[in-house]
Amino acid sequence: MNTSENTKAFFTETGAISSFAARFFKQVYKPRFELNEFIRQCYVIGYQSLPLIGLTGFIMGLVLTIQLRPSLTEYGVEAQLPSMISVAVFRELGPVITALIFAGKIGSSIGAELGSMRVTEQIDAMEVSGTNPFKYLVVTRVLATTLMLPILVLLADAIALYGSYLGVNIRGNTSFSLFYTQVTGILEFGDVLPAFIKTFFFGFAIGVIGCYKGYHSRKGTEGVGRSANMAVVISSVTVFVIDLVAVQVTDILNLN
Amino acid sequence: MANKKVDTTKLGVFMIAGVGFLVMLLYVIGKNQNLFGKTFAFRAQFENVHGLMPGNNVRFAGIDAGSVKTVEVLDDTIIEVTLLVKTKMKKFIHRNAKISIATDGLIGNMVVNIEPSKLPAPEVEEGDVLQGVKGLNTDEMLKVLNQTNNDIASIATEIKHTVMRINKSKALWEVLEDESLPANVRQSLQRLKAATVSINHILADVSVVVNDVRDGKGTIGKLVRDSSIALAATEAVDKIKNIGVAADSLSSRINGFVAGITSDVNEGKGTIHTLLKDETMAQQLRNGVGDIEHDARALKEVMEALKQSFLFRGYFRRQEKQKRERSGKGGKY
Repeated sequence: MNTSENTKAFFTETGAISSFAARFFKQVYKPRFELNEFIRQCYVIGYQSLPLIGLTGFIMGLVLTIQLRPSLTEYGVEAQLPSMISVAVFRELGPVITALIFAGKIGSSIGAELGSMRVTEQIDAMEVSGTNPFKYLVVTRVLATTLMLPILVLLADAIALYGSYLGVNIRGNTSFSLFYTQVTGILEFGDVLPAFIKTFFFGFAIGVIGCYKGYHSRKGTEGVGRSANMAVVISSVTVFVIDLVAVQVTDILNLN
Repeated sequence: MANKKVDTTKLGVFMIAGVGFLVMLLYVIGKNQNLFGKTFAFRAQFENVHGLMPGNNVRFAGIDAGSVKTVEVLDDTIIEVTLLVKTKMKKFIHRNAKISIATDGLIGNMVVNIEPSKLPAPEVEEGDVLQGVKGLNTDEMLKVLNQTNNDIASIATEIKHTVMRINKSKALWEVLEDESLPANVRQSLQRLKAATVSINHILADVSVVVNDVRDGKGTIGKLVRDSSIALAATEAVDKIKNIGVAADSLSSRINGFVAGITSDVNEGKGTIHTLLKDETMAQQLRNGVGDIEHDARALKEVMEALKQSFLFRGYFRRQEKQKRERSGKGGKY
């Protein structure tokens, strides 16, 4: 494909995903609500992702602390290490890294699951049996990713700060009380709320893209693999794009 | 995936943990920004707020007491800052408290410092307006520091030149390397010490003399303190003055007398003129003296003849003998 075809394909794909998202908003308010499936998805997407997200967050806090210490020591502001880690984790690293891990695990999972259902014609069978497959499969998953990612991000932040506390005490001696005071003392609403709000968009994007890729999977099992792969790639890029937009919006609204 | 069993308890714990952490986080941030708990607001006016922003901390004697609510420009020289302070700190903040804006550390955020005054004053009330004082500013500190560095650099250069001159000075090093110098200095100091003791004694004596003089003791004391001596001295001076007058009179009389003699001598009158100017008189006197000499020699010859005469020889021998005895006794003495 040449450049123009690629560009056209990009806009076509973007339009299709937007149309898919619009269909989600149409379906989400209409009964019948698949509450049990939604709770099951929350359990699978949220709770069962916690070990991976928690481990990632812990390592993120620990490594960030160890990496930052030499530079801060060089400038004589080693005491500011907890404050810097706190701001970095809450504002940017926690949401983005958690969203990327989440996209890798959940985006691929949803893409592969729905893709295999599509190629095995299970979705078609649901339509024939009178069940709304979009509502049962897509709406519940997108809602679950939208609501679970913020919770996961908050818990990842907390675990990352614990990792940071351990990292601070590897070469220093800071009490938990002082660490807590420094971490919370530097924070403002402008550090937490915009970052928290953008995680809903991250979760929504990951859910919509994963579902779209799986729901429109083609060409048999090969297509399932491609759907899973593309779901991860596109949702990861989308996370960064949303992050960029979110930073601009927060800056314009003077919330930084 | 569809067959997985849902453990709602675990899901509930997961949800509560996440939401609970969010609530706790927001509460702590709100507490730090004094959104919860009782607060009161008062204002402080400054000429320059150095980038102070709403949300910056307010500290009372170094303790976090609140935060900055608003920063407003009243006119081109007055900027009004509204401070939101915990109500429990109200009783410690008085109207004469010093309010200044400073940096939290060298490169930290701006903070408003409230320093208590030791003088009594009423408590600050809601809505009061206090006058801010100019606090330490990093820019001004750096300017002063830069000036100080320049001064130190100049001083260091001068010291360097001085040290170089000292190092090049042979005389100074000879003095420093002279091993006898400490002993000499020590000896000089000992002498100086002894001299000081002597001076102290002298000063004590002088002090005694001065005291005596002050008390009117001794000749000088009487001179200084006795009024009768001053009176006598005045009389003596008067007498000396009278003597001077008399001496002047006598002198004028003598002058007149001498002038008269001079006149007589010049005019050939009187005895003095005869003695000094008359040559005939001088010749007569010369002749008279020559006669006296001739008669004296004749008398001496007669006396020699008498010494040889048997009638008077014994008498002259006794005279000689007595003369020798007198001279011999005189030799013993």
